[in-house]
Amino acid sequence: MRIDRASGVALVLLAAAVLEESWRLRLPLGTLATPGPAYMPAVLAAGLLAAGVLVAALSRSTATLGGAGWSEWRHSAAILATCAFVALALERLGYRLTIALACVVLLAAVERKPVLPALLFAAGLAGGTYYLFDTVLRVQLPRGPFGF
Amino acid sequence: MLETLGNLGLGFSVALSPSILIYAFVGCLVGTLVGVLPGVGPLAGISLLLPATFGLDATRAIVMLAGIYYGAMYGGSTTSILMRIPGEAASVMTCIDGYAMARNGRGGAALALAAVGSYVAGTASVVGLMLLAPPLAEFALRFGPPEYLALLLFGLLVLAYMSSGSMVKSLAMAALGLLLGMVGIDQMSGYFRFAYGFVELGDGLGVVPVAVGLFGVAEILATAGKATPPNVIKPRLRQLLPSQTEWRESAAPIARGTVLGFLIGILPGSAHIISSFVSYALEKRLSRHPERFGQGAVAGLAGPESANNSATSGAFVPMLALGVPSGPIPAVMLAAMMVHGVSPGPLLIQQQPQLFWGFIASMYVGNLVLLILNLPLVGLFVNILRVPYPYLYPAILVFSILGVYAVNGSVVDVWIMLVMGLLGWVLRKLDFETAPIVLGVVLAPMIELSLRQSLAMSDGRYAIFVQRPISAVLLVLGVGLVLLNVYSSVRRSLDWRARLTLTEKGEEAR
Amino acid sequence: MNHRRPIALVAALVLALPFGAVAQEAYPSRPITVVAPFPPGGVADLTARPVAAALEKVLKNPVGVVNKTGAAGAVGMQFVATSKPDGYTLLLALSSISIIPEADKIFDRKPAFTVDQFAPIALISADPTILVVPADKPWKTAKDFIEDARKRPGQISYSSSGIYGTLHMAMELLSDGAGIKLRHIPTPGAGPALTAILGGHVDALASGPAVVLPHIKSGKLRPLAGWGDKRVAALPDVPTFKELGYPDAEFYIWAGLFAPRGTPEPVLARLREATRAAVGEPEFKAAMDKLQTPIAFKQGDEFQRFFDADAKRLAAGVRKVGRVEEKK
Repeated sequence: MRIDRASGVALVLLAAAVLEESWRLRLPLGTLATPGPAYMPAVLAAGLLAAGVLVAALSRSTATLGGAGWSEWRHSAAILATCAFVALALERLGYRLTIALACVVLLAAVERKPVLPALLFAAGLAGGTYYLFDTVLRVQLPRGPFGF
Repeated sequence: MLETLGNLGLGFSVALSPSILIYAFVGCLVGTLVGVLPGVGPLAGISLLLPATFGLDATRAIVMLAGIYYGAMYGGSTTSILMRIPGEAASVMTCIDGYAMARNGRGGAALALAAVGSYVAGTASVVGLMLLAPPLAEFALRFGPPEYLALLLFGLLVLAYMSSGSMVKSLAMAALGLLLGMVGIDQMSGYFRFAYGFVELGDGLGVVPVAVGLFGVAEILATAGKATPPNVIKPRLRQLLPSQTEWRESAAPIARGTVLGFLIGILPGSAHIISSFVSYALEKRLSRHPERFGQGAVAGLAGPESANNSATSGAFVPMLALGVPSGPIPAVMLAAMMVHGVSPGPLLIQQQPQLFWGFIASMYVGNLVLLILNLPLVGLFVNILRVPYPYLYPAILVFSILGVYAVNGSVVDVWIMLVMGLLGWVLRKLDFETAPIVLGVVLAPMIELSLRQSLAMSDGRYAIFVQRPISAVLLVLGVGLVLLNVYSSVRRSLDWRARLTLTEKGEEAR
Repeated sequence: MNHRRPIALVAALVLALPFGAVAQEAYPSRPITVVAPFPPGGVADLTARPVAAALEKVLKNPVGVVNKTGAAGAVGMQFVATSKPDGYTLLLALSSISIIPEADKIFDRKPAFTVDQFAPIALISADPTILVVPADKPWKTAKDFIEDARKRPGQISYSSSGIYGTLHMAMELLSDGAGIKLRHIPTPGAGPALTAILGGHVDALASGPAVVLPHIKSGKLRPLAGWGDKRVAALPDVPTFKELGYPDAEFYIWAGLFAPRGTPEPVLARLREATRAAVGEPEFKAAMDKLQTPIAFKQGDEFQRFFDADAKRLAAGVRKVGRVEEKK
């Protein structure tokens, strides 16, 4: 499948979903003189729909979806998963612990760096940024259990 | 004029006193720092440091906070150029050509040009602020919802010049960005739109998480997993300075960016972000080599960087002359003035000449300090390119997450950044550009609100847009620009057909 | 078996550690967080900072301010409503705390929080809004304004800090009490609302006194009347709507300190006592003085009565406004 076809179709589907969604959320459309909360989203979704159709139709590119070069996806997925862990853990484990764990995982497991430098780097980064923001700038960052 | 000079003398006597100078310096330093750190923009920096200024007197506090604001504009270009990560939202356009320059081995030159452009813009716009503040502020106030809508529609035209690839594709991305900007409470009716039960989405998607996600995180996702990590560039001293051609090519864009940024900066709203987009589009339109944009065009770096810097001075115009905030950052600074017992308002210049003129003078000094601070830092910062990527990107991620989290203390913003990172990565693979999305997210809420406010003002009559002189002029200009474009593209395609028939004829004749 | 005993002992100690700490803890023994549900520089933030600083001095324990912003304050308020009621997470709320749950009801939404999820500690300040018009408009008194509005229903416009926002509610209470209809132009905040009236794009604005005072002094805006039960100290010549015969037009932008409901009574008592002392600190008085916000300290039953009456007024106001879209 060519990338422009695929992305055009995806955009059309998204636009349709927005239209359906604003109808299902029962957002009033309003009138031309008094546009309601669904007015702009509907206009924009219509625009996106048209653009999606044009992207799919006018495509001259021959690149295919498989040929777009997804070789790094495992790596990207690992990084995203680590970040997702940070988002989940930040307010539960506290800032320092979460960031240090994430850095160790990224360096040691994802990047296959030696463990000791990874640990040092992680501890330094987590402690250093915490000191800079929480202690010096007085931006309260989340603390975990045991006050850490 | 003579009076102004006298006042300026008073201002410099305030600004150059050691106790003020040191705070200007600290402000510039912190500003550079928050600008450099991805995710932590000037708003975050000022908000975070506001409580720290409570112990100071008013002049010192304002001088320091202003230093953070314009200092962040200097610093914001650094990560954009070196790592394609916007240090703050107004540096999104710098990511494109600045990063391309760095990849071509001109990273040092790009940083130096950005610093010099920022300095010229910063200093020239303070002259504007000093001489024109009261009349310009009155003019800015006449920008009500109808005028604003006309201006924003004008801004949408900018999109046409932003892309280096397919026009249809960048329009699609703009529509997507505008739609993303619709998330949140509808300010006119109170309905929650597309929030799916997340109260945190009530204020919509922030520009900072979206920009850092689409540019920064997406870049990391695409780069970190490459079989060969980006080669470590070892900058040589000779390459740190821009070449003579580069200086020449950047002079006019810096001048245009300065004027443009100042004028847009005066207007209420998130103007400094828009100014960099408009400047980029303008430079591309005027350039004799528009095809170079996106490949490391000097003009595409110098214009927007100057524009976002002079827009910060522009934003001080309504704040100092009238005591009304022209955006979230001046609003925080107004609050800081109130905390110190200075009541901001039209009488400020008369009642507190020391504060006003000291502030103006400190901006001259501060810009010079920043130039002196930033040029040697160029040599230091390019060394970031020496850090092996596997160690560099976790640090960038940590700063991005921290910066995005710290502004609102909200994990939801971190999630937005991650989702945008994933989206940006996929869109790159599909050969889409992401800058129009950022522009869309910035513009959408403003366009919608000003349209509906205008209609509320006029009781539903669209005539309000042509009855008011400023908006009518802007709309006519916009329509003229579109027609001009249609005309020139039609003529070009006719030319092309004519040439084709000629060559065909020639071939037949052979 | 013997060699295992120390391990078990250590394990037991480690397990008991967190619980033991809770049981013996004297309040306060770790940093307290005051949540300001609005961005830095707003009224909530500017009140929270000096309150926190003064509390820190009185309690001899760190007190920090965190801005949890979003959705007109609902995000921060919900955060405190659902946080652990241990006295270490407090809320500095504005009048909108009573408005948001009512607005949620209007839209059949699951409310982000309800007012009875909070235990009031103390009222810090309460400022009535005042009605201002551009100086070049013909209305010299509130009477002129109301009579003209009656003649031209829906023609006189006003800006506000957003739909169901404080500045909107003040105007709604007035229009309802005086039987007039005005045209509402919402803006994203108090700053843009002020810009709109200074630019001459709207005809009137209800605003906190501190914000408009400089513009009244410079002659750009004219004050007509106030929403308080007393006149504003800085504007002794401006009457109140109550004096003018509109008793329903009573509205304050107030700031108060709350804890989550369920906070132990001794902790609440300690906090009330500390807040009373904190409000008396000279630094605190000086800070509020600079903000031109008079301190209106109330606590216990007095605050509860004020809070209940205010919430009742606002709830009625929100219900009157209803869903704007469906009225047209």
